[in-house]
Amino acid sequence: MRIRERLANIAAVEGVVVALIFLAMIIFFSLSSPYFLGSQNLRNLFVESTFTVLLAAGTSYVLIVGGIDLSIGSVLGVSAGLTLLTMQKTNSLPLAIAVGLASGAAIGLLNGGLIAGMGINPFIVTLATLSIFAGGLNVLTTRAQLIGTPSKSFASLAQGSVFGLPSPVLITAIVVILLELVLIVTPFGRRIYAAGINDRAAHMAGVNLRRLRLQVYILSGAIAGLAGILLASKLNSVQPGLGSGYELTAIAAAVIGGVGLSGGQGSVWRSVIGALFLATLSQGMQLLSISSTWFTVVTGISIVAAIAFSRMTQRLAATVRPAASPPEPTQPEPEPSEDRTPAAAG
Amino acid sequence: MWEIMSSRSTDAALLVDDQDTGPQGSVVLEARGAGKRYPGVIALDDVSISMRRGEIHALLGENGAGKSTLIGILSGITEPDSGEIIIDATPIKFSNAAQSQSVGITTIHQEQTLAPDLTVLENIFLGRELRRGSLLGRFLLDERAMRKRVEHLVEEFGLTAEDLRRPAGTLGALKQHAAQILKALAFDARVVILDEPTSGLADHERMSLFENMRRLRDRGVAILWVTHRLDELFGLADVITVLRDGRNVATVDPGTQTPDSLVRLMVGRRRSAVADNSSQARGTRWSGPEEEILRLESVSRAPLVRDVDLVVKRGEILGIAGIAGAGRTELARIILGADRADKGQISVNGKQVRIRNPRDAYNLGIAIVPEERKTQAVLGDFSLAKNISISDLSRVTRAGMIIDRSAERKLANVYVRDLEVKTSGIQQKIRNLSGGNQQKVVIARCLFTRPALMIFDEPTQGIDVAAKNEVYRLIYEFVDAGGGAIVISSELPELLRVSDRIVVMREGRVAGEVAAGPAQSEDERSDRAEVIMALAVRSSS
Repeated sequence: MRIRERLANIAAVEGVVVALIFLAMIIFFSLSSPYFLGSQNLRNLFVESTFTVLLAAGTSYVLIVGGIDLSIGSVLGVSAGLTLLTMQKTNSLPLAIAVGLASGAAIGLLNGGLIAGMGINPFIVTLATLSIFAGGLNVLTTRAQLIGTPSKSFASLAQGSVFGLPSPVLITAIVVILLELVLIVTPFGRRIYAAGINDRAAHMAGVNLRRLRLQVYILSGAIAGLAGILLASKLNSVQPGLGSGYELTAIAAAVIGGVGLSGGQGSVWRSVIGALFLATLSQGMQLLSISSTWFTVVTGISIVAAIAFSRMTQRLAATVRPAASPPEPTQPEPEPSEDRTPAAAG
Repeated sequence: MWEIMSSRSTDAALLVDDQDTGPQGSVVLEARGAGKRYPGVIALDDVSISMRRGEIHALLGENGAGKSTLIGILSGITEPDSGEIIIDATPIKFSNAAQSQSVGITTIHQEQTLAPDLTVLENIFLGRELRRGSLLGRFLLDERAMRKRVEHLVEEFGLTAEDLRRPAGTLGALKQHAAQILKALAFDARVVILDEPTSGLADHERMSLFENMRRLRDRGVAILWVTHRLDELFGLADVITVLRDGRNVATVDPGTQTPDSLVRLMVGRRRSAVADNSSQARGTRWSGPEEEILRLESVSRAPLVRDVDLVVKRGEILGIAGIAGAGRTELARIILGADRADKGQISVNGKQVRIRNPRDAYNLGIAIVPEERKTQAVLGDFSLAKNISISDLSRVTRAGMIIDRSAERKLANVYVRDLEVKTSGIQQKIRNLSGGNQQKVVIARCLFTRPALMIFDEPTQGIDVAAKNEVYRLIYEFVDAGGGAIVISSELPELLRVSDRIVVMREGRVAGEVAAGPAQSEDERSDRAEVIMALAVRSSS
């Protein structure tokens, strides 16, 4: 087998390329800095990345169904604010978590209602709600002092650890695995892909697009709400502008991981790889004392590189003829009664 | 006056006859030994074809015979693995569609490729607009010059000057075809490739299209014409090339052929003739109770469906005839819940129902094989198995929430085998199947939901003769087992053949009903066809 063919076969496995680059980057950083693989650094890396990982996981649902959700950053901020406010007022952890999740889901319901119910373009709807709820958080923070709650149990949500694992990492891991499973094995997940591949055909085949899109946006909002709860617990304070820009990082992570913006392709774990990639990049640059102002530049370059690379591997895979292709099953049956071959008569 | 356009497209070169490209009958375009392989398939194997000035060259073949690949190569979309393309005795290599266009090859595809919101004139000059002469004028379009260039062609090809100003999307299929022809002629097309131009056209519209093809021929254009309808060929095609399994099996003079002999060439020795006897194909009819499955009472949706009453019983095939725009597809969409009726009542199995979306319809036992397979039915990136199960995932779901993939594959495989879908396996992506096999998978998807009523909207559009017969067989099997079917088709012979009764629609209303059924003489059939055509086109008073 020629090297080219082997390369093409490897590249054809979904997500392998990003994972390999990710691995190469980890090796590079660990050789460049002795601290990189230190347990404290890894711990920081994972804890810091949980918020992006969660948002990216939720946003992959939206992207696969063929939509986009720009509001998740401000949903995160508003949920964080309302969670902390509830903690301050009631000191009830379950209630605070419920408020955080419900506020996210409610904004998702609003997004989904406008998009699926009224048929407004998702980019426009979520751009508007992004603005509305970023402003809402600003109003909230001027009305209430969202600094600190003495509750230990609330703090332990994002600062504690279970079996030596930081609890936000554990929570995120469980949620991500659940999201991936739901997408892969349930009818709900199957319909999401179908709608993303060809929404008109899915509709004619009996997929209830309206309900499906509504559900996806609610889910996206609720996941952003969860990220907000964790962030509030970690910071133990909520400032105006919290969460702004997270939506773009999450979408960038999904795209770097290989989730298409046109719908129907990608998966949760690919977005997670993309998010971890960006987090590692940021951490590594800090360790190498590269100014953090360069980070967004590198993020942008990564997006372009990821797209360009996937196009190249697609082309490579298309030009190489796979050796193990199945034979055509269409063999004409010989008919003994008619022996003459149809010849050209003209 | 100064023009940015290249010299080829100046007004003087507009009339093809003015070009010095040799006499009628000289070879314009030739493919020699063209070959193309895709993973697992040899799509085209050493095919040669030559096209002459002023000649209509018909290209025949079953689905998957290599017609699309050959067209792709000639129009620069597909790069051949072997062989060469020769224009004016010079070998040439296309690496994109624009290059093929620039040497005068225009392809008019099965699906309309006009931008629906642009006017016809804008469409004709899209990407090749004429500009004004002055220095600043370079940034301005010269609409007058563009209009002038095509106006003498407009009426000849059945359009009006007014049509040029209308958005292309508001024109009917025939006029859109005419617009495409103008688009080709405005830029000296020497070869026009027509990919199944008559699908979706009513009979009288086809006649106008054929007139347009003759006019193109008279202008010295070489026409490559892909069609599935053998009856159209005679009297129009000058030469016929038949492809089978990626090879050129014959290039023949139509005068030496009959429809039967062409079918033999297309299908090889596998089938000896067209099974055009419906009574043969239809098995034992449903003998159970003839209960009503569906009843519509004065169903309306302005402006396309008005006061429609109809009934479908078990074991019955109801055909719906009508010209394009008569409201047939719109009616099907209402029954399926894809569109809501303004008024009227729908009853399923004797009970009045509200169908708010297709999901409701499937739950009531109604399934559809939609028109426009590519855009409305096929989930291209999904495997066959996933395409089949999508409409009723509950059949393969365990514990109420987890898809049992091995059960899904096994069950889907039963349908693939029953329907004789030609595939390398249940995991193959549906995108890689031929049109006829894709259509069988879509039918399998409907059968998978175990429906009581199936709606077939143009079920044989763009598929070959053999696949058509298999689609008919599947419809028969379904109704003979106690199902009811609605068949919508623009091909009258097809409707007369498969239906038990035919309802004719005109301008959104039921214009009349005609009995059909299997035991008909040829005379009886043509009488009925005439009655139906009369009902379909008679203007309302």
